[in-house]
Amino acid sequence: MKHFFLGVAVLSTLSAAGQIDTSLYNSLQIDEVVVREEAAGLTLNAKSATLDLNISRKELKKAACCNLSESFETNPSIDVSFTDAVTGTKQIQLFGLAGKYAQIQVEMTPLVRGLLANSGLNFIPGTWVQSIQLTKGIGAVNNGPESMTGQINVELLKPEDLVDAAEAPGSEGRGDILLNGYVNQGGRFEFNEAYGVRLNDKWMLASLGHFSGRQQGTDMNGDGFLDNPLGYQVNGMLRARYFGQNGWEGIYTFHALEDVKQGGQMLSAFAPGTSAEDLWSSTMKQGRLAFTAKTGWVNPDLPDQSVGTILQLYSNEMDGAMGNSTIDPAHASSLYGLQNGGMAQVLFRHGWGTWSQTSGILLTADQYDFDFVQTDLGTTMGWMEVDLGLSTEWTYAPSDQFTAVLGARYDWNSIVSHQVSPRMHLRWEPVEKHTLRLAAGRGFRNALPLVEEWGRLATNRTLRSQPSSLYHVLGGSYLNMEEAYNIGLSYAWNFTLNYMPGSLQLDAHSTEFGQTVVQDYWTPGQRYLYTQFTSSVEPIRPMTSNTAGASMTYQINKRTEMRLAYRYQDLSVVYRDEFGIVAQDVALPAPFVPKHRLMAHLSREFKGGWTVDATLQRYGEQPIPGIDPSAYPSVEMAPAFNLLHGQIRKAWAGGDVYLGVENGLNVRQGNAIDGAVNPQTGEALMPSAPYFQSYFDATRIWGPIFGRMVYLGTNLVL
Amino acid sequence: MKKILLLLLVVGNSFAALAQKKVEITFQTDGVCGMCEKRIETALLDMNGVWTADWDQETHATFVVYNPKKLSEMDLYKAVAAVGHDTPKVKAKDEDYAKVHACCKYRDEEVVSAHHGG
Repeated sequence: MKHFFLGVAVLSTLSAAGQIDTSLYNSLQIDEVVVREEAAGLTLNAKSATLDLNISRKELKKAACCNLSESFETNPSIDVSFTDAVTGTKQIQLFGLAGKYAQIQVEMTPLVRGLLANSGLNFIPGTWVQSIQLTKGIGAVNNGPESMTGQINVELLKPEDLVDAAEAPGSEGRGDILLNGYVNQGGRFEFNEAYGVRLNDKWMLASLGHFSGRQQGTDMNGDGFLDNPLGYQVNGMLRARYFGQNGWEGIYTFHALEDVKQGGQMLSAFAPGTSAEDLWSSTMKQGRLAFTAKTGWVNPDLPDQSVGTILQLYSNEMDGAMGNSTIDPAHASSLYGLQNGGMAQVLFRHGWGTWSQTSGILLTADQYDFDFVQTDLGTTMGWMEVDLGLSTEWTYAPSDQFTAVLGARYDWNSIVSHQVSPRMHLRWEPVEKHTLRLAAGRGFRNALPLVEEWGRLATNRTLRSQPSSLYHVLGGSYLNMEEAYNIGLSYAWNFTLNYMPGSLQLDAHSTEFGQTVVQDYWTPGQRYLYTQFTSSVEPIRPMTSNTAGASMTYQINKRTEMRLAYRYQDLSVVYRDEFGIVAQDVALPAPFVPKHRLMAHLSREFKGGWTVDATLQRYGEQPIPGIDPSAYPSVEMAPAFNLLHGQIRKAWAGGDVYLGVENGLNVRQGNAIDGAVNPQTGEALMPSAPYFQSYFDATRIWGPIFGRMVYLGTNLVL
Repeated sequence: MKKILLLLLVVGNSFAALAQKKVEITFQTDGVCGMCEKRIETALLDMNGVWTADWDQETHATFVVYNPKKLSEMDLYKAVAAVGHDTPKVKAKDEDYAKVHACCKYRDEEVVSAHHGG
């Protein structure tokens, strides 16, 4: 296949036959957009009513490593950061808001959700990814209620991607086996595999495999703690693809993974004779089994009419512990969670010339069981969450210049009962190549506050909740509903200058929460969790995000591409002043969100298959929780810093080799972990030390822990 | 005043010189498919002095922007012919045409009609 389709969703490959673009699961995609392989890696879909960016496989290769959370490193819209200094979990932010407020899906099914809300991004190996569609602003209504800031859909390699590559004229049979190996200075290694085979004219199979790990620990900052946790991940997927006659097709996927991480203090950093049982440690073991069946049908006589179904069953499990439960039980916690669930969806699309509609029924059911142990707060609980949603979305596209999409969904949810979420998207191209878009809508989700912020338990701050019973900190209560309204306006201009293509994009987005679970760090020594509502007396939103961004891409000449972006983010959260110091709720900036973000990216190709690229990211000052015990609110500002990533790649017909550096300027956060070392002598402290017990906190993390890191990798196409 | 005028003239001239460095040309090139497109465009883009190149599968028109100081119009035709595609002024040698993939055999009526029919 020389070209691939943008914005294609689950059943996209109905169009692999070449005639029909069903786009069944993303009806906002008006037209198929054909992108040449050598086109830019990051493309804005000009015809879509939503602000959609497509991130191609070529672009993903520029990311150093290794999984989905890191694949946004060259993307100006999304920030990637650590949740804490010990668990190695990376999270993303869109509009300064945590990734959980964006709906992250794999081929339109949930993965980064429920027990995997915190870690799911780490379970999608980058080399499995075919493309990513990023929608900034509220997403399509048929995919569920959970999109508030945006939507990220990841398309993985399908059997036909591999088989078609090998069968394409001129490929000489190459392309159905992809191998990848990677190793870095931090001791991480990785091996990935993708293999596709055609069984007959109707069936194809593929396997995707991943094994990664880290066996060798490092402690670059000498605080006695591992910079990155040790452990391994085994992850595999088997996929069967069916293309039948009369418009039938299906894809059936089995997914299994196990991930084990072990972080905390390093035995070798302490005096001989120290036992591992004397140290602070963090462990987390996660597993998933899932089966997904998708079947679709396009009416061969009426290509505007199609039906698609998705059925998914899954089981996610987590088992983690943090701290040292023998020496310092007051500050140790453990969490076991099990989520068994599934989803069933039916979507029906019908078009009549300038009008089209997509309607759907979506049923999700999740049985959660938790066992949380912490001094005074231990609890075991389980509950079932069921959501039955009906949605419909109407598209009116009278001309190429104008598209209006109006949609709404009604959800009956077993926890929060009746919910209605309207959404609207308008696209107007008054002058060719100048496009204006307006989007607005509502979304909601039920939070699992401790699961989603597990890494932030790596602290000796006292965990408190309001109401004081812990049940709603685990989830399942009406108080855990988070609800937001998002409105976004954008302008895009695609220009040609000096025969070369470029684009300019301006956008402003506002997200206002009507209800949210607040993670309050502003009282020294405490971490306080509670639900904030919009008060009926004073209609102040409990959390708001206002952002404005400008980005420009331009191909300077036939081999050089540049990208510049700036974003302003203003986040405000209304906190309860529990101790009555200022005697009222107080609006403060959200922690760990810089106000100013800059990105510059340059890539150049050379003859002979060489490519060089570099990305500079600037993070402005960001508010972090302070340590002054007498202050309220205790806010400090972390300094601004720059991250420089670069890579050199040499490609042949049979693959490539790449050498790169992450954090080339060797920026490192000093004192990433409070209380870890004796402030006088600088020696690492054990959890038995009173100073450690009073001050230990690994969650005030704002910058890189590991300094400059060099990596080497290779892709083989067989 | 004269100096300013002179300066403007010099600046203007140098802009004109920048613009003059590039020449547009469009010529017919035989071919059939996307593979042909890639082969033709790559051959041209790999040349020093070619700024941009685009072959249109439907009209068979090749649009090239190049720097006439670095190469001549003839060089463009030769480069395209060398990878097996006929141009108005230089035809591909049989041995170069023989190297193109079976689906790109634009001199073969059957291959061409298969592309149009399919």
